[in-house]
Amino acid sequence: MANEVVDPFFSVSHFDGKTAVRRKVEIQTIGKNFFLLENERRHGPFAFEYMHFVSQTKGNISYGYEDIDGWRLTLSGPIPEDLKPLLPATRTYGSLIDKLGLGKASVAFIAASAAALAVIITAPQWLAPIIPQSIENNLGDALVGDFGGRICSTPEGKAALSKLTNSLDANPDDLQVEVVNIDMLNAVALPGGKVFLFNGLIQQAESVDEVAGVLGHEIGHVRERHVMQGLLRQLGLSLILGGLNENVGGVFSSALSNSYGRDAEREADSHSIEVLNEANISPIATKGFFNKLSEMTNEENGISSVTSYMLSHPLSSERAAKFDASFDKERDYRPALTKDEWAAITSMCANDKDVKSGFGFDFGEE
Amino acid sequence: MTEDTKKSAFQFHGNWVDFFKIAIVNLLLSIITLGIYRFWATTREREYLWSETEFIDERIEWTGTGMELFIGAIMVSILLVLPISILSFVVQGAMIQDNPKLAITIIIGLSLLIYYLIGVAYFRALRYRLGRTYWRGIRGGSDEPGFKYGLSYIWKNVLGVIPIYLLVPWAMISLWNERWNHMSFGAHKFHSNADWQDLMKRYMLFYLLPFLGVLAGIYIDISSAASGEISTGESTALGAIGLLLILFYIALPLIALMFYSKYFRVAVRGLRLHKLEFDFKARSKDWILLFIGNIALVVFTLGLGYIMLPYRNWKFFVTHMEAYGEVNLDELTQSETTRSKHGEGLLDAFDVGAI
Repeated sequence: MANEVVDPFFSVSHFDGKTAVRRKVEIQTIGKNFFLLENERRHGPFAFEYMHFVSQTKGNISYGYEDIDGWRLTLSGPIPEDLKPLLPATRTYGSLIDKLGLGKASVAFIAASAAALAVIITAPQWLAPIIPQSIENNLGDALVGDFGGRICSTPEGKAALSKLTNSLDANPDDLQVEVVNIDMLNAVALPGGKVFLFNGLIQQAESVDEVAGVLGHEIGHVRERHVMQGLLRQLGLSLILGGLNENVGGVFSSALSNSYGRDAEREADSHSIEVLNEANISPIATKGFFNKLSEMTNEENGISSVTSYMLSHPLSSERAAKFDASFDKERDYRPALTKDEWAAITSMCANDKDVKSGFGFDFGEE
Repeated sequence: MTEDTKKSAFQFHGNWVDFFKIAIVNLLLSIITLGIYRFWATTREREYLWSETEFIDERIEWTGTGMELFIGAIMVSILLVLPISILSFVVQGAMIQDNPKLAITIIIGLSLLIYYLIGVAYFRALRYRLGRTYWRGIRGGSDEPGFKYGLSYIWKNVLGVIPIYLLVPWAMISLWNERWNHMSFGAHKFHSNADWQDLMKRYMLFYLLPFLGVLAGIYIDISSAASGEISTGESTALGAIGLLLILFYIALPLIALMFYSKYFRVAVRGLRLHKLEFDFKARSKDWILLFIGNIALVVFTLGLGYIMLPYRNWKFFVTHMEAYGEVNLDELTQSETTRSKHGEGLLDAFDVGAI
């Protein structure tokens, strides 16, 4: 039974790493080098500086030697004072913590973790604007393509839609605004400046002004690079939290993306109010439309649960009130489009013979 | 110099207080480092458990480091988690664009790849652990990288499942043998020739239990219908549900443990190292007590007891391990196997245990 009781006497044993034979030895120190004396044999010379700490159990310390696999020198009992300064440092928690001390290291870790969390949480915000628009466009084409052939198109409808877009954005060339043939009260901003208004939303809108407000909101997501931020966030979180326990990671990541989502919605709303104001379109219709949407969102969560980088629109009375507040009674607003133009948009999906319908996440069904 | 090994060859000298002191600090350090310390935490726990484990007359030694586990995990993140995250975007894109074929192809391809890598991970984790375990200055290891084993892992498991799961024991034992036959300690190779047929009786118990449960349910239904007591319909339904609950939450896990107990005994008994033979003495009862103890420990400490599970499991393993035969210390020379520089990243990524 080896090493059960702490040895009152100093003794040294040695494994040479070549065989499993244990050798009782004495250390013969010569300056910074030493020999191991075993009966009639002498092992060495060895240098103290090439020794490293391996393990420590009650009363025993084991050292290894640089390039000799399995070489061990185990010291038992009280170590002689003259030997102590020659031996390498022991390790308890890990070399970094041992050097700093547990208390100081803990403080340092907490500070570093807080900083790392801050970077991780904000990284997508400052990283997204750095990524060139062309990359995002390619990504958008690769991911979204033609939305499975569900984009509605008639010459009149397209013209009306781009007139609406032009009135809401100064650089409409890098936007792709489409109506897609899906009967859902929703709209999404996707990578590459793609803004898709669902036909369900178009059909249920009471006036074109409502659609203008929603479109302004989606363009806001595009202009603020929210879509790219969302993509980066999803990628980054999966990477970082992949290291954590799955449940912890999941809770953490959904909490993060929720809090992020609210901020993004607020920014997009502000953008919408601003562009409506510049285009001299009344925000009051958008408010009514938002109220209608908020009743709906309780029943139908749209597609937001399917892909987290698509930005969907949970609505609150607070947000509707913001649109309300920006309404100026004295002002002479103009309608966003003429009646004919609006009719061209509302009838676009019905008049497009080639468009596919539905939202086919159910495989194999058209 | 030959050593006789008639007394129990494996002894465990640790105590839970010493381990708890390590584990609680590990937990706190892991929390404040956002989980990064856990690699060093694992290393510290192993250093302790190994150093309190005595084989014949000398304690074993764990020489793995936190840094190599950390590097292993980083490599897996970059080489595996990142590409999979990117591919998941492609799958989403394919679904949006009505291309279910592409989506399904990617999902199936990824699943196969991950299944393959789980096999590789089992192999490499065992190799890593043997390579970092020293006894009398001698370590173990393997010259195989485990990539072939990954393929075996796929086809043997598939073959085990095809005849309505009847060959699962064969797959398990065959993979165990294959894994250990590539391992060595010092100059000696492990030989493993466990026989899967020893497992079949126990497996059939596990296999047939659900059928027996259904039969019992039908019997209750029929007997109550035959007795003509319509009013007991509800209570019969309740009885059937109760029976199902008992079946799935108590009987099935118990029988699964009984099967696993037999599996591990058969597997370890098939193992030889030069002139050493091994045995694992835990019976089903011991396994069941271990698991009930583990569950109780976690539940009654509101989860904190979780940090003591490595201690309990290791102690269980060591105290039931047994070896017979002899070790010739002059013949037990150093292993010449190559060792990889990083740890158990793969295994860690898939969250599966070794051995």
